[in-house]
Amino acid sequence: MASEPHRRLAWLCSRPLAWLWAAILAGCALLLAWQLRDGLPSDTRLTALLPEDRQAPLIERASAQLGQTFENRFVLLLAADDLPEASAALAERLNELPDLARLDWRDVDLADADPSKTLGAYRYRLLTPDLKASIDADGGATLVEAALERLFSPLGSPQPVRDPFGLLERWLNAQDGGRIEAWQGLLTVRDDTGTRRALLIGQLAGSPYALPTQQALSEQLAAFERAHPQAELLHSGLIFHAAAGARQARHEITTIGLGAFTGLIAILLVVFRSPRTLAALLLPLAGGLLFALPLTLALFGRLHLLTLAFGASLIGVAIDYALHLQSDRAIRGPRFRLRPLLPGLALGLASSLVAYLAQALTPLPGLRQMAIFAALGLTGAWLCVVLWLPRLRLPAHPATARLAELLWRVTTPRRRLSPWVALAGVAVMLAIVAGRFEVDDSLRLLNPSSPQRLAEERQVQSLLGSDTGSHYLLVRADDEAALLERLDALGDALDTRIAAGLAIDYDNLAERVPPPAEQQANLERVRRLYDEPLETLVTRAGLPPETLTRARATLDEVPLLRVADWLAMPAGERDRRLWLGHSDAEDGEQAGTLAATLVLSGVDAPGEIAALQRLAAGDDNVEYVDRVARLSALLGELRRHIAGWVAAALAGLMLVLAWRYRARAWRVAAPALGALLGVLTLFAITGTALNVFSQLGMLLVLGIGLDAGIFSAEHARRPATWLAITLSTLTSVLAFGLLAFSATPALHHLGLTCLIGLTLVWLLVPWVRPADATTRQESAHD
Amino acid sequence: MRISSLLLLLLWSLPALAFDLEALQARLAATPDIAGRFEQTRYLADLDTELVSRGHFRYERDARVVWTLETPVDKRLVFTPQDAASLDGTADSGANDNDDRRRQQAAELLLSLLDGDWRALEQRFKITLAGDAEAWRVELVPRQQAIRERLKSIHLAGGRYLETLRLQAANDDTLDVAFSDQRPLDAGETTSAESADGE
Repeated sequence: MASEPHRRLAWLCSRPLAWLWAAILAGCALLLAWQLRDGLPSDTRLTALLPEDRQAPLIERASAQLGQTFENRFVLLLAADDLPEASAALAERLNELPDLARLDWRDVDLADADPSKTLGAYRYRLLTPDLKASIDADGGATLVEAALERLFSPLGSPQPVRDPFGLLERWLNAQDGGRIEAWQGLLTVRDDTGTRRALLIGQLAGSPYALPTQQALSEQLAAFERAHPQAELLHSGLIFHAAAGARQARHEITTIGLGAFTGLIAILLVVFRSPRTLAALLLPLAGGLLFALPLTLALFGRLHLLTLAFGASLIGVAIDYALHLQSDRAIRGPRFRLRPLLPGLALGLASSLVAYLAQALTPLPGLRQMAIFAALGLTGAWLCVVLWLPRLRLPAHPATARLAELLWRVTTPRRRLSPWVALAGVAVMLAIVAGRFEVDDSLRLLNPSSPQRLAEERQVQSLLGSDTGSHYLLVRADDEAALLERLDALGDALDTRIAAGLAIDYDNLAERVPPPAEQQANLERVRRLYDEPLETLVTRAGLPPETLTRARATLDEVPLLRVADWLAMPAGERDRRLWLGHSDAEDGEQAGTLAATLVLSGVDAPGEIAALQRLAAGDDNVEYVDRVARLSALLGELRRHIAGWVAAALAGLMLVLAWRYRARAWRVAAPALGALLGVLTLFAITGTALNVFSQLGMLLVLGIGLDAGIFSAEHARRPATWLAITLSTLTSVLAFGLLAFSATPALHHLGLTCLIGLTLVWLLVPWVRPADATTRQESAHD
Repeated sequence: MRISSLLLLLLWSLPALAFDLEALQARLAATPDIAGRFEQTRYLADLDTELVSRGHFRYERDARVVWTLETPVDKRLVFTPQDAASLDGTADSGANDNDDRRRQQAAELLLSLLDGDWRALEQRFKITLAGDAEAWRVELVPRQQAIRERLKSIHLAGGRYLETLRLQAANDDTLDVAFSDQRPLDAGETTSAESADGE
């Protein structure tokens, strides 16, 4: 029968089930021990929280390829009085890192592959814009002087037959473009004030998220800074951000986590006055963790650090069931029975599970993991409470009952809440929320890096003239010639806009591999140059006449430089990130389409973004991609997804509540919904934007608030219930609310929402409690 | 017999031991600024041909070298540690954007050689010194394989001044520079020579 659900749940009280549960937990313990044999397989990547870009796999691939260079590389810029000595000392330390694939810091490190060997045959098809202009102007007569200088300067290394005009050297210099200078055997860059910094580029063999790699790197850098106190280091690279994030997370887990735990223990000791009761209350927590850890690991392979932090905070929710049971028992003493509590406990679990499992349906792998971890932990804790706790003999201190009475007297409102006042309040709050509500989906939420570190990153990028590959044009074409033509045309279009004042820069593959038609035109130009100007050069320099015939003979068979040739050369290695090659069915493109990226840098103003969007708008084969905006859009989509799922879950729950509580269902839902409305109103008034993490916090408020509403409705006018609700909100505030003090934006927003929301839940419960002294159920079935 | 010749060898090498790279650097540094003439012979192995050029130079220690070609072409080149830009490069723009890495490295190398800055050179070259203060010879062999693929060795010889310089490229091209009529410049002379030389 609908009114007697606890009868149907009575089978949960059987002894064999308790033993079965113990056996399952023992199995979990064994599984966990086996999984942890090599340490905890953990993950600290915050981006693991983000969904894959399923709508555009080609963009996803391009972004991943561009991001990889940034991920596995780190750059240090060193300023010191004795730069060569300090650089050598630093390089020596870095070379001791176990995960370092290579380190470039001497001028010879970047010159070790002579490009003329691989590129020499193609040189007559590759001309810098300046050379093209000179030859187009007068056949290249002005180039003779420079060629003479090459022949007679003590520094030149002339090749009168292969390359009398030094075409290749000029071309290589033009590609070099960067601001890196060789100085005293070092690689250096100079800023506007003339400060010279040594450049050290490290390539990691492993992941920048690996904690041992991060630790080894920070130790070596710290040791270097101790030995060279006057030296100034600038850092760039994902590993530094990842290390800072991991350090902060560890620090906060120890301070905030430990604070919450100590507070929790203190409160429980004050209320129940018994270490044994305390141990019994913590037992479901341990059981929940023991159940959730091995199963989550088995499902996902590795555990995200955030899952662990968030999951451990389950303390606040999982302990609720134990608190309700124990408060009831402490006050009722020997008259305590589990059965009447079961419907409340079951509904409480169901509402929390629905709230968490809604998250498991989102496309974010990290969030899904958190949700499953939480749901499993809650189930485990609930089973411990229901199956084991009633069987444990625990002392009931009289102080608990006295405390409950006191709390009841102090916090029960003298007057009833007028429904009109309540409705008016709701209307005002809704109006405020509707009027000033803001949302924020920016990616900064996911970025735990401090503003200083981000500024340092930008400084290094601008000193090096490099990019992070976060803005680019994705270009498609049917064949290589067409793709290169398209890239070339885009380069020209960008040049025109840059000349007109657009303050950006770009990296274009077509500058290194010109389109075939352009290569042919260049060869024709070189033929013109090798006509009269070469004769002048040979005569003026006093070179033997055979130089002329031999040099001209080199132009007879010049191979075409193709993208594959260029990318295979050491000189073309940097450009591999730009080339996507043939797309396949997995990319969601027409098979056989070729694609490449043209990476933009210095794009930071909205006007610049608009200009680039206009540039791409006219052409179906060109797409402007802003990775940050794209990820932000995904975050926003995610936020709406969660909101939608939660609304659906809530609607479903309301049906269940209406079925059980009939006309009183609104009293069950009021604390949770009222608290959410209150949070939104406060956010609207203070101008705090709602983001995906505050929304996750609201999900928690909803789960805990519904629990409170359910228990309050089930056992309305009992001090024991009110004590349990108070303790449960208090412990949840300790577990989640304290996260408001976290410096990690994601945790801060989650914590702030919980802090406000849970307080409001606690304040609302006494006002919406059912009026009758004892509930219908209790008088009927007790 | 063998022992006595060994002893003789030891005695011979004693002054050489006393005359080390530091002493040589100090000796070269004794004359800060030098002016003189040069004859430069570039042998191009590929064409089996020699290009000979002549001219005068002015060397200002730690600052720059002004290299003025007289025959077969008229050119004034200035090398500084910062860049190896040629002065008359300003005339034909675009053709002389020489602030590139390799050029600069070459200019730096030339200045280090003229300075006798062994400390800077030691990082990149294995350096051997022979002879004494009056007639010394220095050989430099690149340490890095990557550089050896372009440059085999550098030979320097001289007494009070650097007298000959020989660069041997990996493709068998060589560059010989012989310095003559060298004389020290005092500070005043440097500036007056500069204005006299300026076009």
